[in-house]
Amino acid sequence: MTGFGRVFSSDLLKLRRTFVWGLAVLGPVGVIALQAVNFMLRYDWLTKLYAEDLWGGLIDNVKWLGVPALMIGLAIVASMMAGYEHQTNAWKQTLALPISRTAVYTGKIAALLVLLLISCTLLAIGTVLLGVLLGFGADVPVGKILSSSYLPLLAAMPFVSLQVWLSVTMKNQAVPLTIGILGTVFNLYSSSLNEWFPWRWPYLLEGAWSPFMTVVAGLAVGALLYGVGMNHFRVKDVN
Amino acid sequence: MLGVFRSELLKLRKSPIWWLIFVSPALSTLVAYAEFYPEDLLPWHISLSMIAMVHGLLFLPLLTGVFAAFVCRFEHAGGGWKQLLALPVSRSSVFLVKFAMVMGILLVIQLLVCAGLLAVGFFKGFPMPVPWDVITRSLLGSWIACLPLAALQMGVSVAWSNFAAPMALNVIFTLPSILIANSEKYGPYYPWAQPALAMLPREAESFGAFNVPLESLFFVIAGSFVIFFAAGYSYFLRKPV
Repeated sequence: MTGFGRVFSSDLLKLRRTFVWGLAVLGPVGVIALQAVNFMLRYDWLTKLYAEDLWGGLIDNVKWLGVPALMIGLAIVASMMAGYEHQTNAWKQTLALPISRTAVYTGKIAALLVLLLISCTLLAIGTVLLGVLLGFGADVPVGKILSSSYLPLLAAMPFVSLQVWLSVTMKNQAVPLTIGILGTVFNLYSSSLNEWFPWRWPYLLEGAWSPFMTVVAGLAVGALLYGVGMNHFRVKDVN
Repeated sequence: MLGVFRSELLKLRKSPIWWLIFVSPALSTLVAYAEFYPEDLLPWHISLSMIAMVHGLLFLPLLTGVFAAFVCRFEHAGGGWKQLLALPVSRSSVFLVKFAMVMGILLVIQLLVCAGLLAVGFFKGFPMPVPWDVITRSLLGSWIACLPLAALQMGVSVAWSNFAAPMALNVIFTLPSILIANSEKYGPYYPWAQPALAMLPREAESFGAFNVPLESLFFVIAGSFVIFFAAGYSYFLRKPV
């Protein structure tokens, strides 16, 4: 295996007995459960409101709760993953291994992305199940569900890169977590912001930018921050 | 007890984290300032409602968790619990002082929010006199509503050494209050929605759970506080370090 492959699998191994996995499952399950309660309690009113597009209404409702959950979830998981190293002062040990720092850093991001992809997949499955259970019919808009489950993650790539960068390079995890919280609150009230604010991107709202353009912007800024973060990590002193 | 308190204060002062107290008040002030008010409405009340939606609904509960985890950080890092508890201080005073620190920080934040609101009011020429009773009830009420959350977060923060773990619990319960606070039936019984509900000026807005009288919120707050505090406190007294 290459250095990166080994780091990546060791990162996933480190998480095995922790409740990080639980969080990755609980996030989407919680969002779907809350929407299930929401739709069951207000079934008549909501089905009247979304009468011409029941599935679309459900997908939008899931998105309005799922995106903030994604934003804060990625900050928490990034911090927890880096926290295990900070807590046991294990950075020295990890970096003493014959593996490049680039591989170590990339391994962390890759492990986080795997967890987030699992969350997005569960969210898509949960949306379909909930819609069918609510009796919204068998013509499931698969494409729409897939894009509203996975595209927010791509548009949120700047935050994935940023939170990994902050969590890995700062010993005091209060700082990255607070920045994550701040970002989530910004994100919740971002629909009136200008297209250039990345906090708005994960919702993929129709506006001056098409969803495709938003995703491209997310990936580009995400890649840029990944490069900046990795360069910082490569030259940083570790103690 | 006083010694424990002074050492906690010193630990906080030497850390950049106390700058966090300015974040939410600054943002609330900005939100209150950016909003436009027609002349005939109650601008003080509407500003407070706006602040409740930004500061009370998310920041206040989430920051409670950050500060609770933070006052335990030095002890989790490098075996500090052993050192601290080897000193001639009782465990109960350590827990009480840490809890008081969290509530103290939150009180300072509430005062800063009040200052920001007053600044917006004077700057935009809101009608005088300042409705002190409404503002005091709103800011003090939401501070009291943080008591149960701070108690729970203190409990899990002394128990879990990973800084993000108590935050995860905090977020799991706080995020749903975006939905739950809108519910007339369930909002009043959900402890994490209380800071926002208590902050809304009583007679201004009234939709969802937002027009519940302060008295009925009080029972939920007091009840959950007693349960969470008793659990966290008795756990810490027995915790092996």
